[in-house]
Amino acid sequence: MDKKIFIDGREFAIDGTKTVLEIARENGIYIPSLCYLKKLGPASMCRVCVVEVDGIRNLQTSCSLMPTDGMKITTGSPRVIEARKMVVNLLLANGNHNCLICERNGDCELQEAAYNLGIDIPAFVVPEREEKDESAAFIIRDGNKCIQCGRCVEACNRMVVNEVLEMGNRGGHTHVICDNDLPMGASSCVQCGECVQACPVGALYEKKGVGKGRPWEIRKVRTTCPYCGVGCQQELHLKGDQIVRIKGVEGAQPNDGHLCVKGRYGYDFIYSKERLTTPLIKKNGKFEEASWDEALDLVANKFKQIIKESGPDAIAGVSCARSINEDSFYMQKLFRAAIGTNNIDHCART
Amino acid sequence: MTNSFGEFENAKLFFLIGTNMTEAHPVASYYVKRAKLKGAKIIVADPRNQALAKKADIFAQIKVGSDVAFLNGIMNVLINENLYDKKFVEENTEGFEELKATVLKYTPEKAAEISGVSADKIREIARTMAAIKPGMLCYTLGITEHTCGKNNVMSTSNLQILLGNMGMPSAGVNPLRGQNNVQGACDMGALPNVYPGYQAVTDPKNKEKFQKAWGVNNLSDKVGLMIPDMMASLPSKKVRAFYIFGENLARTDPNITHVEHELESAEFLVCNDIFQTETTRFADVIFPAAAWCEDDGTFTSSERRVNRVRKIKDAPGQAMPNWWIFKQLAKRFGHEWPSNSGQEIWDNELSQLAPAYGGIKFNRIEHDGLQWPCPNEEHPGTVFLHKDGKFTRGKGLLKGIEWTPPAEVADAEYPLVLSTGRRLFHYHTRTQTGRSGLDLILKEETADISAADAAKLGVKHGEYVKVSSRRGAVKVRAKVTDEIPEGLVWMSFHFSEGNANWLCNNVFDPETKTAEYKACAVRIDKI
Amino acid sequence: MDKQNDTMIKTIIDRYPKKDSAVMPVMQYLQKKNNNRLDDRAVETAAKAIGCSKGKIYGIATYYTMFNTQPVGKYHLQVDTCVPGFLQGADEILAHLEKKLGIKTGETTKDGMFTLSAVQDLGSCATGPVIQVNDRYFENMTVKKTDVLIDALKSGKEPENDPSMTVVSKCNILLNDRTKKDCRTLAFYKGNGGYQSLKKALSMKPDEIVAEVKEAGIRGRGGAGFPAGTKWTFLPKNDSRPVYLICNADEGEPGTFKDRQIMEFNPHLLVEGIAISSFALNAKKSFIYIRGEFDWIADILEAAIEEAKKDGQLNHVDIVVHRGGGSYVCGDETAQIESLEGKRGNPRVKPPFPANFGLYGCPTVVNNVETLSCVPYVIQNGAAAFQKIGVTNNFGPKIFGVSGHVNKPGIFEYPMGTPLKEILEAAGGVKGKMKGVIVGGLSVAILTAKEAEGLNMDYDSCNKAGTALGSGGIMVVNDTVSIPELALRTIEFYHHESCGQCVPCREGSLVIEHKLRDIVEGRGKMEDIDLILHLTKNIKGLTLCPTGEAFAVPIQAMVSKFRPEFEALVKK
Repeated sequence: MDKKIFIDGREFAIDGTKTVLEIARENGIYIPSLCYLKKLGPASMCRVCVVEVDGIRNLQTSCSLMPTDGMKITTGSPRVIEARKMVVNLLLANGNHNCLICERNGDCELQEAAYNLGIDIPAFVVPEREEKDESAAFIIRDGNKCIQCGRCVEACNRMVVNEVLEMGNRGGHTHVICDNDLPMGASSCVQCGECVQACPVGALYEKKGVGKGRPWEIRKVRTTCPYCGVGCQQELHLKGDQIVRIKGVEGAQPNDGHLCVKGRYGYDFIYSKERLTTPLIKKNGKFEEASWDEALDLVANKFKQIIKESGPDAIAGVSCARSINEDSFYMQKLFRAAIGTNNIDHCART
Repeated sequence: MTNSFGEFENAKLFFLIGTNMTEAHPVASYYVKRAKLKGAKIIVADPRNQALAKKADIFAQIKVGSDVAFLNGIMNVLINENLYDKKFVEENTEGFEELKATVLKYTPEKAAEISGVSADKIREIARTMAAIKPGMLCYTLGITEHTCGKNNVMSTSNLQILLGNMGMPSAGVNPLRGQNNVQGACDMGALPNVYPGYQAVTDPKNKEKFQKAWGVNNLSDKVGLMIPDMMASLPSKKVRAFYIFGENLARTDPNITHVEHELESAEFLVCNDIFQTETTRFADVIFPAAAWCEDDGTFTSSERRVNRVRKIKDAPGQAMPNWWIFKQLAKRFGHEWPSNSGQEIWDNELSQLAPAYGGIKFNRIEHDGLQWPCPNEEHPGTVFLHKDGKFTRGKGLLKGIEWTPPAEVADAEYPLVLSTGRRLFHYHTRTQTGRSGLDLILKEETADISAADAAKLGVKHGEYVKVSSRRGAVKVRAKVTDEIPEGLVWMSFHFSEGNANWLCNNVFDPETKTAEYKACAVRIDKI
Repeated sequence: MDKQNDTMIKTIIDRYPKKDSAVMPVMQYLQKKNNNRLDDRAVETAAKAIGCSKGKIYGIATYYTMFNTQPVGKYHLQVDTCVPGFLQGADEILAHLEKKLGIKTGETTKDGMFTLSAVQDLGSCATGPVIQVNDRYFENMTVKKTDVLIDALKSGKEPENDPSMTVVSKCNILLNDRTKKDCRTLAFYKGNGGYQSLKKALSMKPDEIVAEVKEAGIRGRGGAGFPAGTKWTFLPKNDSRPVYLICNADEGEPGTFKDRQIMEFNPHLLVEGIAISSFALNAKKSFIYIRGEFDWIADILEAAIEEAKKDGQLNHVDIVVHRGGGSYVCGDETAQIESLEGKRGNPRVKPPFPANFGLYGCPTVVNNVETLSCVPYVIQNGAAAFQKIGVTNNFGPKIFGVSGHVNKPGIFEYPMGTPLKEILEAAGGVKGKMKGVIVGGLSVAILTAKEAEGLNMDYDSCNKAGTALGSGGIMVVNDTVSIPELALRTIEFYHHESCGQCVPCREGSLVIEHKLRDIVEGRGKMEDIDLILHLTKNIKGLTLCPTGEAFAVPIQAMVSKFRPEFEALVKK
């Protein structure tokens, strides 16, 4: 007989591979969670995802709860809500969660949980604890927004295995450290940004994106990284035609959300003021602006002249190993079909 | 790559030779490290004690340019100790006896003498690879950028075939391509000997097929020139017009003084680029091109995966897509090409002409890309090649290969060996990364040297030194690091100043014409 | 020096099945070698030796209190100001030291001689106030003795410690005659019939031993009271993985100082208990996880193990003494396993339980010192004899520590179920008028004097009385004590010790501490009292490990039972 469970009275089949949180999410049942991240697995630390289970005295964290046949789960009982509210209140109390100026406003899991629980202002407040760390080239760390969920530490150590981030100290003083508690910019961090992508709140964010756009203004476009040959899938976050940030595409082949420093932060060059914007023809040793027709005609005529005088093999071309396939295809087609030579190569071996 | 990145995490063994993934392919390195966390064994062969070498279970710090001897030494042990996959070799390969005859000459002791890796370690590596199967072999330019580059490549393939590590998941020979679309540019036929999809230009059938498709009757069946030969033909005017699309040859090719002389002597030089570079200085005409994010199309990654690249904005000013530029030139030769977008070029032209891409269409790769071969639109793509030991050419080829030293070795005048490559924080000549803020992290080139050599030279970490070869000299800061063994200097080609290519030797593999970027002789002087 | 380091580090690493486990011992070694400081270089050396990141070492160093990443003076004076110390006047000693040294708590004298710290619970509850100087204890301190100590240290001498207290053993099973100078030796132990039980056990089948221990019904003496024999039967059968036995000697519950009595004065009893249990469980490697502050006791255990080994008693098991680094939470079995694996002592999510997935993912049993020390008696005399001691369902001897406001604080081995009154009388009676009593270590609910009347000291009776027997650490509170202040001390301890992993414990203890301090210092509001009760109610059962409960329960009891005292402070 098929095994099943009941969540809020609704029946779901189970196959022993999914946690209660996963089953609930797949079926549109909202359970807030702050430390759970799919690819890192359950952490059971934030205690926000608790649910009530018939026959079990304590509330259970749904992220780590593997259902057993016949289990009856309630996700929104008064007891559950009171516990969740307390947890979210505690987190809001112990930091500077000022959404107005936060880069993650509108894309923050703590904010979402607070909103869903109807918490407008925290019930209690204790003083701030940490300074912002802006020492690194691309990543800003704001300890006052950190909820110590540990995702960044796990991501650094288990996903990209760069082994820079750790939890330092303990108890109320627990905070994320780089190496032996160095500023990020002075540490061995290589700015891959995995931690930023894992952060559920505004404790880690991209320096380049500050003030560039709000989550609700963002258009997302998937593309492929222009650097090495791994072919990482990127999610460009755009406001207008401006890249605000780049994330790795979760679940995508081959990189499942991961990127490196170049893939995540090496995008500004397309906006550079030094970009070539017009055809240039060298006249008397100096480049002069020209129209497309002028430049194209000049090249075509010169090529034709050379072909006529010396044959097509007196022309050679090097294609580009960074540009799109379609460009290389057309360049070799130009050389083979229009010019009539196989003198086409690219830096295939470097 | 015969296999895929998705197989890395569950691999049981990695043999990494001449690849510094941590810096050149960071995301791939994550998966190697994760496999290690899951219990995979990692063997690294590299002249440098780089990050993955430090994490390796066995690190063979081989001497620059000794790869063939080292690999032969491993195969010697596999054969002598009967550790190779006899069944696989018998059923799926040819040339074993020839290979055997050659590698038997490379006893572990002899291989040790050449490679600097102890005979015991060579035995340990062979035994480990025989014990843990399958194993994935990965390499990068440490293998190819030698005068014996092709031989190096064939040796890695010999090793994996001998072990039977072919045609299954988490196995194979896996060259990680240095650039985002080198694989694609090859696949597209930007090579002098093949049409798109590796169809030989010398085969009349292919000629006929492409003539028909392109509506022409003048396709050449003569193999064209490779880059070094093109450049060498410039001063003699054998090649009179040279068209460089998006490459900064004046800084990426070895022996810059010589390269610049060649470029300068070009009768007519045309460039497509997004920036002025050291190369465009020599151009007669520069076409301003669309960059990444300014055009729709595809890149093909190392794992043969065709991925979409999307446009988010127009190119600045009058800059245009490169394919458009080629199309306009073709028009002036009387050719009207029908396609007006990347998608039309791919779907209606390329994928019709190259059988391996026949099944790849833009609408199939909206999300994850497809891996060729993908012959028809029902085909799911190919995750790993040579399934069940079936090689493309029929039988897998084993070939006995003799070791040859680099063209230039250290001597009294130039007592150090220079090897080069990429660093994490930059890419090529920094045309992109240098304009994206990465200079904040790395703003100038260094000569990476060992503490021992630094002491011998009386040079401190961070001090400027002069590095010179028979071809040129640069002034860079010394970086004293435990990654580098005594006798080695390591530099990159990211910066115009201090670019290693001022020093590198413009000698090439006789067949592939790949330059020996990985080995030349230099000296360092205090300044 | 470097070579000597390498050899020593290798020796340490070789003790463990996995290299990572050696991380704390290596750090401890390096710190000792380096003027009591784990500086960046030492962090780097440790990272290299273990093959991990610097961050990991630093994360561990700052998790455990005993590592000094910042410079400390030649003598690190650590005054225990936790509840037992507080009840015995530790504040006065601390204030005196501040004045005498001219520094504040947390500072170092200009000459680099002294660093002064207030620390949480050193496990010297009946011999307080206590000052730990580097790794030595000075107990029963007075202002005068403090002066003598400081003067001696200044002249490069170290005075003798005075650990005297009342010791009464009615059962004579766990405590031996500590007045004898050679009480720790193998000869002394064997002279009293020691290791006969092991001999008997080795002639039995392991299953028979497990059955006997299960039959005896030894309930876990660490505090939870779970039957040890039953726990043993949870180990999977026919499993190819190695089994590990960990003796939990991380005695850290304030008010508790019983295990150290066994380990310090009767070490062979514990060694024999572990040897029998390891045989029963087929554990080839066993660990004693002892709190790092008990360094000298760890030395005693190591000497005893060495002696027993030479005597051929331990051919079937290798026992490793592993020193903790200063963390209360590591008394939790899964945190202890994590710590022993060389990590921060964060408790694990259960399930899986240690019996199935414990140390290195292998089947593991964690038992308390006192529990394992009962095993030789059970095997030698049989379960029935053991059951003759104590009361139904609560069998055997129990060591009670009595501290706080009694005339003769000390240690008392009595049968389970002994009336509290009888134990307090043996401790010389209450000093002044009893306001309340905490009977099972700081984590249980305080009883008012009235509630404590007629209480018998066993698990079931304490539960019935609305509290818990816990570790049997009895702290008497007389009417000179302000309960709000007691509550503040209590939460300070737990906030300091919280591992920081889960939100209700980490942030809840912080908020409660803030609110209680506000109340004690006269800034409190009436709603703060309700907020504290709201928090304690919800934290109970919501945390990842029992630590949340460990402060929610006592704070809730203090606030609700003595609410008028809190209200009075708010109204002032």
